[in-house]
Amino acid sequence: MTGRYWNPILETLPREELRALQLRKFKRIFKWAYENSKFHRALYDQAGVVPEDIRSFEDIHALPKVEKSMMRDIQRKNPFPYGDALCVPLEEVTEFRQTSGTTGQPVYQPDTWQDWEWWAESWCFILWAQGYRPTDRVFIPFGYNVFVAFWAGHYGAEKLGCEVVPGGVLDTKARILKIQELKATAMMATPTYVLGMADTARNKMGIDPASLSINKLTCAGEPGAGIPTTKKRIEEAWGAKVFDHAGATEIGAWSFECEDQPHGMHVNEGLFLVEIEDLETGKIIEEPGRRGKMIITALDRQAQPCVRFDSKDIIEWDPDPCSCGRTFRLIKGGVVGRSDDITKVKGVLLAPSAIEEVVRGIRGLGDEFEVVVDKVGDVDCIALKVELVPGTESLREEIEGQLVDQLRNKTNLRYNLSFHEYETLPRYEVKAKRFKDLRKAH
Amino acid sequence: MSEIDLQEMIQKVLSLKDMAEDINGLSKDFPAVWRNIHRVMASIKMLEINTVDLTQNK
Repeated sequence: MTGRYWNPILETLPREELRALQLRKFKRIFKWAYENSKFHRALYDQAGVVPEDIRSFEDIHALPKVEKSMMRDIQRKNPFPYGDALCVPLEEVTEFRQTSGTTGQPVYQPDTWQDWEWWAESWCFILWAQGYRPTDRVFIPFGYNVFVAFWAGHYGAEKLGCEVVPGGVLDTKARILKIQELKATAMMATPTYVLGMADTARNKMGIDPASLSINKLTCAGEPGAGIPTTKKRIEEAWGAKVFDHAGATEIGAWSFECEDQPHGMHVNEGLFLVEIEDLETGKIIEEPGRRGKMIITALDRQAQPCVRFDSKDIIEWDPDPCSCGRTFRLIKGGVVGRSDDITKVKGVLLAPSAIEEVVRGIRGLGDEFEVVVDKVGDVDCIALKVELVPGTESLREEIEGQLVDQLRNKTNLRYNLSFHEYETLPRYEVKAKRFKDLRKAH
Repeated sequence: MSEIDLQEMIQKVLSLKDMAEDINGLSKDFPAVWRNIHRVMASIKMLEINTVDLTQNK
């Protein structure tokens, strides 16, 4: 099995055929949701739309969006606990997962077995594109629990034929030893965690992570693998290729970086329809190079459909096709932020990922940092805490100069910098919380 | 890679689907068959997504 594509026909379909397929599939899932979910029917009835009204992408763009807050409102009611968006009898639900609740009450996600097969299928597109093959031994260092995280990655890797090693309840040191013992060739985890693992291996166990047998890493859960400086740090630490992936509990595994590493991710347009909405005007952006927020539809998901879901992810279309030959469009630089993370400081729009890109690009700074935005009187202030890597203390002045210059260039803002002893800033195992905005607390 | 005969594949997938649906209908009082065919049908749906759905004439 040496082919480049998981589905050689779908992944290279001419654009017009791909768009026609998306339109057909959108009509089908919209009809399914309309006919089987009281929530969706009420939403569309209120907008005066019936399935027969959808004939074009313009018709789709005009449909109401679904917000996470709407899902919260209808859940924890009968059919318990999912409420009126459930499209199948409760006894057909075989999987429960929930969102992390970072932005409020968690949303529950039911899936049928068919949906679970679909999750695994969508991961097969990702993993195959990243070079996973049945000869791979894949280590998954994640606490298998109510969050979907790498569950479907596990099932996808199995389906593809890989040997999967679940690194569930092992601690970081035990996971590293298991990777070493089994000569695992691939791994899936958050960027934060793989950097932390490398640090533990190197500084606490005397093991160079690059000497282990991992040759590819799939990172998800945070934008890190799409931030060039973070990606470089991970690749150098592990001596492995790092691939970005973005997915979500309510959506599915919708995007992936391929083996050609085009500094962006393909949208799996065979399984998902992505629209980009201008943050100011609400109009759909078709042209490349303009950022907006992603509105997404999972074209085949049944139990709790995802139709025009407002993901809040900030993305932009890449103007260029990928050298890999896939006709699935690329989003440039991956997910560059979230509309609810991008905040105005002193009147300037600030994306936390821009700070990460600077910090991770400076040799001598540790992987961890913390940003705290607060008000002093009426003035916004940003405190940036960083760590110096042991042995670089004498270079502090030089590093500080680089940091100030690059932050000013990249973000157009001034920071109150503080240098902290190595390993004193918080470490995270899954999703990091490095950005704190305390202005709302006043 | 050898040439892919999508139409031939689609015919076989649809036959498989018919067969699975027949078994499903016969097995409601036979959990071991019913639940296994349920899983097979989910896999067949993935075959449909990868083949049948791609044709224009649906």
